[in-house]
Amino acid sequence: MKKINDFVSRVGAKINLDKDLTVKNQNRYFLLNKNLNRLISKDFFCAGVYLGKTKSGRFFPSFNLLTMVAEGKSNKIVVDEKTAWLFICGRDVFKQGIINVKGSKRKGDCALIINRHGECLGFGKILCNLDREIEGVVVKNISDIGDFLRREKHQT
Amino acid sequence: MSVREFFVSRYEELGWKYEDVELKQAVRMNLMNARKADVTKRLESLGIELEKIPFLECGYWIRKSEFSVGATSEYLLGLYSIQEAAAQIPATLFTRLKDKIVLDACAAPGGKTVQLANLMQNTGAIIAVDVKKRRLIALSNQLERCRVRNAIVYHMDARQASQLKMKFDRILLDVPCSGNFVTDKDWFNKRTIKDVEKNSKLQRQILAEAAKVLKNDGEMVYATCSLEPEEDELNIDWAVKNLNLQVEKISCYGEKASTNIFGRQLDNSIENCRRIWPRRTQGFFVCKLKKSACMQ
Repeated sequence: MKKINDFVSRVGAKINLDKDLTVKNQNRYFLLNKNLNRLISKDFFCAGVYLGKTKSGRFFPSFNLLTMVAEGKSNKIVVDEKTAWLFICGRDVFKQGIINVKGSKRKGDCALIINRHGECLGFGKILCNLDREIEGVVVKNISDIGDFLRREKHQT
Repeated sequence: MSVREFFVSRYEELGWKYEDVELKQAVRMNLMNARKADVTKRLESLGIELEKIPFLECGYWIRKSEFSVGATSEYLLGLYSIQEAAAQIPATLFTRLKDKIVLDACAAPGGKTVQLANLMQNTGAIIAVDVKKRRLIALSNQLERCRVRNAIVYHMDARQASQLKMKFDRILLDVPCSGNFVTDKDWFNKRTIKDVEKNSKLQRQILAEAAKVLKNDGEMVYATCSLEPEEDELNIDWAVKNLNLQVEKISCYGEKASTNIFGRQLDNSIENCRRIWPRRTQGFFVCKLKKSACMQ
């Protein structure tokens, strides 16, 4: 739980996960509803909303968690269509592709990357203060939804 | 007689003349994540030409696309799934899915599990099981991509479903089967009647276990993408006679199944099953079974 909350605060947000409904299976975390909690048995593979996993002490959020966080107040960088596509392909974000910034603009903070439809595409780390008049890469891609395709390729 | 001639002559005996079929790719809109009109508009703006599938509520054929429809941001955001047209039929045959406890007995890779979650509006619970652990990873990725919230996935053989110690309101049996030549161009070189018989035996074991864990008045949908009657009509005839299940009337794309298979007379209710010969879709077979309280 602490690792999840720590990550959420890194993107300038807060989340209130019910402890009784948050379950861990090996290194993966899931959020259940009351109905699933009543039915689930110990040996499940996955359940409810997948929140993310820990690996070597680091927490890797799921896209479901990012979407949940994006619904509330958080650091968000809204990007144009071309930048959104490049981001999904694993590329970093260039300053000229940013339409709007909500929340922190500070170097070192993390922010959700949002497309023009308001959908969360992943998150990245702000590389330099976004107030500054600079060009080039300003947000490093940490995780994006293109990962679903990369996972598929990895499996085959 | 070659294997191909053997199977084709069987299809002719069942009333269908063999024809080559070019399978059209199909998608299904995930209504829990977006409105149909919004998604179609977005896909059309990308240059993807869609054609509404007349017998499906949320299905569209891809008429033209310059790139893979499995690599758009809309796909990655779970706004739609890639699912063959006939394969979209089984989940739609259940009545009143909201808040129900549903078993998806051979769930991977998860296309129908996501469809069930849509039809249930993420309420109730789907217990999705599959015997192949490797395929569970694909299933869990689908559930994450499509933002399914009401599923619990177990690594389990459907033939051991009673170990879950649960009774289900609805059961989807999209059973492992021999497949058909439309989705596998090498099908006639790979399959023998022995494979068909082996699959038929496995399917009966799954049917028998599913009948045990189905609630009274519960509904079970059985589907295969096999054209072989041993896996279709003959299995359902066996289920009706041995498992206290009855075949419900359904209204969907496809022909009434035959009650006379290779000279063998089946229960009259078998005509309520639907046989889908390859033409606009792949080959398919589907039916809905009900367990009546008075049959206990």
